[in-house]
Amino acid sequence: MSKIQVKICMGTTCFVMGAAHLQELVEILPEKYPDKVEVSGVTCLELCSDASKYTNAPYVKVNDDVIADATIEKVLKHIERLLENGQE
Amino acid sequence: MFIDIDCTQEKKYNQNTYGDCFMSKRYPEKGELIAVLSDGLGSGIKANILASMTATMLIKFVEAGRSIKRTCEVIMNALPVCKVRKISYSTFSMAQCNEDGDVKIIEEGNPQFVYISDGKVVEPEFTVIDSETFKNRHMHVYKLKLKLGDRLVFCSDGVTQSGLGNPELKLGLRRSGLIKCLLEKINENPDISSSELSKNIVRIAKNTEVDRQAKDDISCCVIHYRHPRKALIFTGPPYHMEKDRHYALEFQQAEGKKAICGGTTANLISRELNIPVLCDITGSVGKLPAVSKMEGIDLVTEGILTLTRTVEYLENGFKEKEKNAASELMDFLLNSDCIEFMVGAKLNQAHYDPNLPIEIEIRKNIIKKMAKILEDKYIKKVIVRYI
Ligand code: FES
Repeated sequence: MSKIQVKICMGTTCFVMGAAHLQELVEILPEKYPDKVEVSGVTCLELCSDASKYTNAPYVKVNDDVIADATIEKVLKHIERLLENGQE
Repeated sequence: MFIDIDCTQEKKYNQNTYGDCFMSKRYPEKGELIAVLSDGLGSGIKANILASMTATMLIKFVEAGRSIKRTCEVIMNALPVCKVRKISYSTFSMAQCNEDGDVKIIEEGNPQFVYISDGKVVEPEFTVIDSETFKNRHMHVYKLKLKLGDRLVFCSDGVTQSGLGNPELKLGLRRSGLIKCLLEKINENPDISSSELSKNIVRIAKNTEVDRQAKDDISCCVIHYRHPRKALIFTGPPYHMEKDRHYALEFQQAEGKKAICGGTTANLISRELNIPVLCDITGSVGKLPAVSKMEGIDLVTEGILTLTRTVEYLENGFKEKEKNAASELMDFLLNSDCIEFMVGAKLNQAHYDPNLPIEIEIRKNIIKKMAKILEDKYIKKVIVRYI
């Protein structure tokens, strides 16, 4: 079983658009899903520089899926869906 | 050679301002530096005004192109005498140094400076110039040639007279005591920075005072000739993407300490040099993204937000309880002598989107501001290159 990789963008754009709050995921996720997810921060995912969608920061990547306008709830929902679909 | 200079001061007990004044200025184009330590008569605000006036006049005169000898002579002849105490309003030491080690020093009334070379004190020769207007007043003129590792230490009499009346040191620390402390410290740590050494001396002077209360203003200024500590900061992606590799390699091969400020910049270097970026989010402190790690690079931070905050700290001092990325960057800068910025000129469009909750300044402007503060306030040598 491979862990679900959660990458929180800590680049400037994402940070000022609210990624600072997403840091809580570092505590929440391992508690909620021990051994199932791995959270890390990353430098700018370079999604923000795409002019057509940069207003949707902050971005979080869960495995290969990009979550735009990320909130803690959105990330949790996404992980749940992955787990239900037997990602384990 | 690089001239590392710093001064530490302590106010006289119960006074709320310094009665000694230290000023120094670097002239990078000429590779030169002038420094003045002036001790105003008495203490508190009056002394402070007298000392600052003397120091400012000396520096302005030299800046206007006079020789330091002539300058000091004019000031010596002009300084009035206090009616009550019949002594002059202020005393001073002035030094003019260049990067080749040529040093001119003039002293008027201050304790004699200490010249340390190869762990020993050298007593250099001097000429005496008497004042035309005041008898009993004269200045000492020195011409020295310093080499790598040499130090000059200037003190106000608050240092040499500290401990006066202390049962063990009836005459105070005196010059001999000062020399003993200096040699001990330098022996312990031959590379000690000027800021550390001057802090140490002031601490010792204060501790020798009865009840640890400074009876006079205490100042100690240290000048040290050494190899410059170089630092290189890469911030922002280069304007032409084709040049990414070229600049990444240049960055890797440069000597000295290195920092990257900017996530995109870190990604770019990581890609070109094949070094992974390890990002730690648990450590985001004080509303700033945390520092990341990259092998071979001393500091990796986010860009604009961290740089903006660093400028704030450099301007107003760091007052927060916890260290954060900006305070680390500040330490990185202050622990270097020659600082070079490689500033990528590419704009990050996303930063200028009106939907962002805060206004983000243009990188170029922040760096310009930072460079100016580092030069003016912290007397660093700064080079900014736009790439
Ligand atoms: S800052 Fe997050 S994608 Fe650029």
